[in-house]
Amino acid sequence: MRRAWHGFWRTLVAILRELADERAYERHLRIHGRVPSGEEWRRFSEERLRQKYQRPRCC
Amino acid sequence: MGKLFRTGVWILVACTGAFALAGVALRRGETLNSAWLVTAAVCTYLAAYRFYSAFIAAKVMALDDRRATPAERLRNGHDFEPTNKWIVFGHHFAAIAGPGPLVGPTLAAQFGYLPGALWIILGVVLGGAVQDFVVLFASVRRDGKSLGQMAREEIGRIGGGTALLTVLLIMIILLAVIGLVVVNALKGSPWGTFTIAATMPIAVFMGLYLRFWRPGRVLEVSLIGFALVVASIFAGEWVAHHPVFGSWFTLGGIALAIALIIYGYAASALPVWLLLAPRDYLSTFVKLGVVLLLGLGVLIVRPDLQMPALTQFTDGTGPIFAGKIFPFCFITIACGAISGFHALISSGTTPKLIARESHIRPVGFGSMLLESFVAMMALVAACALEPGVFFAVNSPAGIVGATPAAATATITGWGYPVTPEQMRDLARHVGEETLFYRTGGAPSLALGMAHIFSRIAGNDAVLRFWYHFAIMFEALFILTVIDAGTRVGRFMLQDFLGHIWKPLGRTSWMPSVLLTSGLIVAAWGYFLVQGVLDPLGGINSLWPLFGIANQLLAAVALCVATTILIKMHGAKYMWITVAPLAWLVTVTYSGAWQKIFSDAPRVGFLAQARLLEAGPQTAQTKQLIFNNRLDAAVCGLFIVLVTTILADSVRVWAGLLRGTREARNLEAPFVPTQLGAEELG
Repeated sequence: MRRAWHGFWRTLVAILRELADERAYERHLRIHGRVPSGEEWRRFSEERLRQKYQRPRCC
Repeated sequence: MGKLFRTGVWILVACTGAFALAGVALRRGETLNSAWLVTAAVCTYLAAYRFYSAFIAAKVMALDDRRATPAERLRNGHDFEPTNKWIVFGHHFAAIAGPGPLVGPTLAAQFGYLPGALWIILGVVLGGAVQDFVVLFASVRRDGKSLGQMAREEIGRIGGGTALLTVLLIMIILLAVIGLVVVNALKGSPWGTFTIAATMPIAVFMGLYLRFWRPGRVLEVSLIGFALVVASIFAGEWVAHHPVFGSWFTLGGIALAIALIIYGYAASALPVWLLLAPRDYLSTFVKLGVVLLLGLGVLIVRPDLQMPALTQFTDGTGPIFAGKIFPFCFITIACGAISGFHALISSGTTPKLIARESHIRPVGFGSMLLESFVAMMALVAACALEPGVFFAVNSPAGIVGATPAAATATITGWGYPVTPEQMRDLARHVGEETLFYRTGGAPSLALGMAHIFSRIAGNDAVLRFWYHFAIMFEALFILTVIDAGTRVGRFMLQDFLGHIWKPLGRTSWMPSVLLTSGLIVAAWGYFLVQGVLDPLGGINSLWPLFGIANQLLAAVALCVATTILIKMHGAKYMWITVAPLAWLVTVTYSGAWQKIFSDAPRVGFLAQARLLEAGPQTAQTKQLIFNNRLDAAVCGLFIVLVTTILADSVRVWAGLLRGTREARNLEAPFVPTQLGAEELG
């Protein structure tokens, strides 16, 4: 039961972090071999948001 | 033993669902508890997921976990990334859940709870979930291609171009109609207007926080933003009662519409990180939280449905929007049953995150079932209100009378008793001056939600907080759809204009940005102002137009899906998508025909124009006549566009089935997966 709750909580946090683009930022850092910084976040988020807001939004 | 037990469980689920559905459909003349609706819906969803989606996955799609998905083959860490299925599920659900499943069922409650409930349950199982599932599958097998690209490649250039133009037009109508929902919810409401206005500086603060102070801490800043928004709800009550500030935030319909148009323009032209993105993060989390809360609230409170199963307005004389139950119930509720917009999401980000083909089923079919459940919760919240109150809140002055006494007398005369004192007390309880003439669904849904939430946490004393919390939640994410939609419309227009003169296509060239943002905002702003000025409430003309457009987009998606199924299996399984397609084409053509040509002035745009022409001619009536003719033309254009793609599809299907056209397989070639289980965590 405890393990099930733990698993549920981990998945929930992972969903929220995915929606918040935090996981995507981690992937970006890993792939490009960089460390977190203000400059890096701005570079990542500009590209991410540019793509995100070119797609139609659902009603 | 295990198999016998499972069979027994599924027989029990099927019998319970059938019993609950029969109870919902057959009980008349007594109050029905919402538990019946919830049970009928959940059992049907479970059975449909277990059997129908499994059949489609195994026999029709032949989903194969040995095949590498585009997320693995084209992995780049940005948009293509194999992701845990529950994370993709959450991502996809957050993307498809907009204001539609909340507003549509609330408006359709004017027919009674039964038509909406049956359409939500059956529509999603046989139409909406199937569409999302098949389009997602098709996109995954085609390297994550968009609906427009698939239409172009599978059907032809005409189909592809038509699909893109249809999407742009639908977005303009969508932005106008949801803008109208916000305007009608906030007019004359300083508390609500202040709360929503406060979300803008809060979003800018979040944007600066993320950009300069704590880069990358999106969850952290969203939590701070949420706390600030809740604080602004409490502050809103003080502002509303302040002699000076209160008047600043007490705005009429036109003033709010202009404010919304200016906001849409600014949000489209400003840097995305400053306003749009932080609002979007905040709105996504608030949306998911409130939807979860509403679901739990309905399950815990299980309110009785005060609305009858069927009202007399099934004959087409409804006060919120005119038109008979067929086809207008099926146009009014789109998201929650079947929505063409979902096909754009299913062929957008989601296919690029799917790690294994078996994940397509829970993500595509499963998340649409959850969206349908949200629509059912909205229907329950609206139908739990006393019908007299529901109609008093939602009916326009042009139908029920311009004073509270006249409005309540008209509504009581329909058989739904309500008094001016009752409405005044209710307005006082939720901290508003009046709740009359708030057509659009948002305030009545907020009232229903507030009643449910206040029964769990607090009592009538906190009703005003929950009401304004619900209004804030609805307006927050509707505004997010408006600003993001304006931006997307701008990109689509720039893409199109770039073919005429190249610099106009450059998304970073400021003159082009300002021009195209202005054109898109002017387009939806025109329809928004038209809705605000409409004496019949605006929703009467705009929501059916939006519903028709959205369902026609679903028809486009189902045309593409059918073409793909025919290429895979010939005629054998084409019924899976042709059946919902035939229904949608019947419903939307019939709805569009009536909206253009019906002799009833409240239904037909042209009849309304003729009626206005026969009366005294003022500048306002001339404008209304033009607006009605414009709406008829837009409706006609939708029909022409979809007839084009439908005719093109039928031509392709006939060629494929006769063997005169080559069934070219456009799927990406099979590549065995190398993905380990640990990479999906």
